[in-house]
Amino acid sequence: MELALIQIFNGVQYGLLIFLAASGLTLVFGILGVINLAHGSFYMLGAYLALTLTSLTGDIFLATLLGAPIAVAFGAAIEFLFVRHLYKRDHLQQVLLTFALILIFNETQRILWGSYPHSVPAPSYLSGSISLTGALSYPVYRLALTGICLALAMAMMFVITRTKIGALIRAGESNREMVELLGFDSRWLYRLVFASGTALAAAAGMLAAPVESVYPGVGERVLIISFVVVVIGGIGSIRGAFLGALAIGIADALGKVFLPGFASMMIYALMAAVLAIRPGGLFGRAA
Amino acid sequence: MSALLEATNIHAGYGAIQILWGVDFRVGERETVGLLGRNGMGKTTLLRTLVGLIDAGPGHIRFAGNDVTHASTAARARAGVALVPEGRGIFPNLSVMENLTLAARAGANGLAEWTVERAFDLFPRLAERRRNWGDQLSGGEQQMLSIARALMTNPRLLMLDEATEGLAPLVRDEIWATLRKVAQAGVSIVVVDKNLDDLFGLADRAVVLVKGEVVFDGAAQALRADEASVHRWLGV
Amino acid sequence: MIRNPTPTVWAIIVVLAIAAALAPMWLGPYGVKFATRIISLGILVLSLDLLIGVTGLVSFGHAAFYGLGAYAVWFVSPKDDSADLLKALALAIGLAGGAAAIIGAFAVRTRGFYFIMVTLAASQMLYALFHDTRIAGGSDGASIAVKPDLVIAGVTLIDFYNRNSIYWFGLAALALCYLLTLWLAQTPFGRALQGVRQNETRMSALGFETYWFKLTVFVIAGAMAGLGGLVFACIDGFVPPEALGWKQSGLAIMMVVLGGTGTLHGPIFGAIIYAMLEEALKSSGIVGATIADHWAIPMGLVLIAVVLGAPKGVAGLLPRRAAQKLTPSTDEPRIVATTQRLSVENVGRRFGGLVAVDGVTLSFEPNKVHAVIGPNGAGKTTFTNLLSGALPVSAGRIALDDEDITALSAAAKARRGIGRSFQRTNVFGDFTVGENCAVAAQARRPGVLRFGADRLREAEAVGFALDATGLRERAQIRAGDLSHGEQRQLEIAMLIASGAKILILDEPLAGTGPEETRRVMDLLRALTLDHTIIIIEHDMDAVFSAADTISVLVGGRLIARGAPDDIRRDAAVREAYLGNFGMERAP
Repeated sequence: MELALIQIFNGVQYGLLIFLAASGLTLVFGILGVINLAHGSFYMLGAYLALTLTSLTGDIFLATLLGAPIAVAFGAAIEFLFVRHLYKRDHLQQVLLTFALILIFNETQRILWGSYPHSVPAPSYLSGSISLTGALSYPVYRLALTGICLALAMAMMFVITRTKIGALIRAGESNREMVELLGFDSRWLYRLVFASGTALAAAAGMLAAPVESVYPGVGERVLIISFVVVVIGGIGSIRGAFLGALAIGIADALGKVFLPGFASMMIYALMAAVLAIRPGGLFGRAA
Repeated sequence: MSALLEATNIHAGYGAIQILWGVDFRVGERETVGLLGRNGMGKTTLLRTLVGLIDAGPGHIRFAGNDVTHASTAARARAGVALVPEGRGIFPNLSVMENLTLAARAGANGLAEWTVERAFDLFPRLAERRRNWGDQLSGGEQQMLSIARALMTNPRLLMLDEATEGLAPLVRDEIWATLRKVAQAGVSIVVVDKNLDDLFGLADRAVVLVKGEVVFDGAAQALRADEASVHRWLGV
Repeated sequence: MIRNPTPTVWAIIVVLAIAAALAPMWLGPYGVKFATRIISLGILVLSLDLLIGVTGLVSFGHAAFYGLGAYAVWFVSPKDDSADLLKALALAIGLAGGAAAIIGAFAVRTRGFYFIMVTLAASQMLYALFHDTRIAGGSDGASIAVKPDLVIAGVTLIDFYNRNSIYWFGLAALALCYLLTLWLAQTPFGRALQGVRQNETRMSALGFETYWFKLTVFVIAGAMAGLGGLVFACIDGFVPPEALGWKQSGLAIMMVVLGGTGTLHGPIFGAIIYAMLEEALKSSGIVGATIADHWAIPMGLVLIAVVLGAPKGVAGLLPRRAAQKLTPSTDEPRIVATTQRLSVENVGRRFGGLVAVDGVTLSFEPNKVHAVIGPNGAGKTTFTNLLSGALPVSAGRIALDDEDITALSAAAKARRGIGRSFQRTNVFGDFTVGENCAVAAQARRPGVLRFGADRLREAEAVGFALDATGLRERAQIRAGDLSHGEQRQLEIAMLIASGAKILILDEPLAGTGPEETRRVMDLLRALTLDHTIIIIEHDMDAVFSAADTISVLVGGRLIARGAPDDIRRDAAVREAYLGNFGMERAP
């Protein structure tokens, strides 16, 4: 029972991380209409930025603050160089070009950081565990991570639902032509959305670095899971991604303990079940 | 009257389907133009070409003294061209207020600036509905919102595709009354609508399209008086 | 549509095949293994092209079936001390095909992004099964103890311990698969698949159960990939779980696109080029140590260049065969046939609170041109949807002569000779004019497993439709290359080929020039010899000059019906078109 409680904590924390990555993916697909397989690479970029910047600054949070603008710039550059050519192409070409980007990013990672796994220290003031009830204790950094992810998620929801830029993003999702007719250059809107998605994935990668080790394929598992979350939540739906990510996080964490060996299968089974009942996902328009 | 918008030799269509065959179209400063023609004759295509959603082919488009033939839709909108499209283009997932504030753009067109308050004065109904989502509005309210939103961009030229289609008579009257106020405020207007008497009551000039070509371009009252031509071009 | 390769391409294929058959004579052990790997990938990508290039299904989980085929060898081998090749074959193909049937049953219900994701998730599920559990070596992969052989009556015919045996077996399998897919793509079944790729909605409207077509090809492709996996497993006697992971699927898609989708031979070239390029970029002797060490970067750049610069792949650079000759002309005199009378009584249709069509009663006399006109939003398109059965009526009755056909589906109405064209041009752009008509004729009997040649009656129907619409001379032109007006003509030809006698045409003149307008209207007049025409049209000159009767719909109600001259004088019609023009001056 206590194990289950711990795993639910872990599941929520993992789910929130996945949400950060998946929200970027769902925005990019919902608004730009691009299937971005390289999205996992942005998570990896975050993890390795955390590695380098933490060793320079000595603090993961400082590293995250420095890394975020780097990720935004990187995302904007990738959009300008490659992704913008895909808006009018079919899914096949999108899949292919972004798959090729994975090859390049993985190799670049190997050149810059090598193939060995690394670990990133949690800040000393957040090391150790706190006891929850009697025998139950939980690492402080993980708790902080949960809080930060939740704060980021809420900040993102605030931006999207309450600000003019958020209104513009929602408008772009429903009617690109009308956005243009009101005088907004959708090219810049798209670049902004893509760069934000990149930054969200990278932020997840950076913040997760102290709890996961940093290794070459770190982004790929996140990519596949994020896709599952996007499909469960409904394409383009931030709310759906939030619920989907939490469900996946908890299912994965509990599955690891109670159904070892079948945890990842459970995730896909969950997706199949959701699609069977609601073909467009939880909050999606009908497929 | 100096020309605010001047389009010449527009050849346009969708893919292999050519709809417009060498259309010339101009709108003067503070002028109101009725654009007429039966369904499928190219009115919508012309409006979409003027705002840059469709390529003008070999044609040229000038707006406020600048060549905008190759300018993007957004750039034309910022220069002061607004379109209220067929179907109205309300963002369903934005509130009425958001639909308006999103469009707000400080105008440098020498006319009094449009604000949310002024828009609500024009359409009091929208003020009541300000917190509703775009897709919770009736057709008439959507059209009011679409017009108000276009005005929030402080346009010099307001174009309306099917201004009153599908609306109840009272709502139609309200829209026409509003358009007269907008015209008095100095905004040039192009209207597509099938209610000819309403249109003739507003428009200074009329342009008739038949099969993608201009067959009439002149004073609205001259067309109104020529019943035979009206029947030939617009009737059955 | 996919056709046999041109002589140039055939020559390349045959030379390649002969060279490949003789290759073990000079290739060393490493070379033969390398070539065998290309062959196993060749089978994988060929089967994937059946999905992507032929049917338009972008599967991102196709490697799952390849991997299952490979694991099948492991399942067969440890049991006996001599693993039977026939058993291995049966299990590889059966396992992969069976899994494809189960996954496909779900996946082919979805489209686009969702199809990509569902196939991806399904393959990842299988990957997790083999990676996370100890079923077949788990994450370490499966080591096959005994490679299969084929022993008949004590004579060992094939022994996979001989490297060259595997190679030749694989090569023969690849050649067989290629010929099989090439044939399959040109059968009526394959033609229907290509119709699905170009416009699935239209195929459904023609009466094809696209679900079963997609599922059938998904299973065929899966089984074929399983065969490729079997060859792969026998190369090293080792199967890593990554063989069925998403990266393997992604690589297969790469090879298909690199070679050229929808050509069948292209993807095989793609596999060869990809493997050779990778090999070259990896060998420091060719590109230098720096690049060889980081070969993935130039590889990625090459692929991006292909996507952006040559989306048709390598095969796009080779010549493609023009359409083949079509059935001989039917010179027999045309039979003058009266069609049946379609009539509606008090027909209505509401959408929620909106009444789109309201109590319309009309009868369409046979062998005449009937026009339905009305301003925007009058309910004309809804009305045609009711006539054709695309929408059920909310009220009223539809009859064909005396038979009540109100409740019949669109497909059932089509079989009774009621066919409709669509507002937007909807021909299959990649098919020739003749093939468009052939697929429409096939829709009379849209059974799934039609692998034989076109039936004589269908060929006659195609010939008849081409003659009736004057498109005989254009039969071998790609429909996408026709002028817009000719495409509208082709739509009418397709209706006729499908056996329609009552043609419902939604804006057949939209976007046609004056010359083409006259031609289409002349065609419609001529067709009344043995058809009834119902057109919805805005071009008043055309309608008033060619129609026998005109019905005017306004706000979903029929406000007038009669000969053109009566309609012209009708006051209600005048108001419908001119709004309140002149109303204030009238008393």
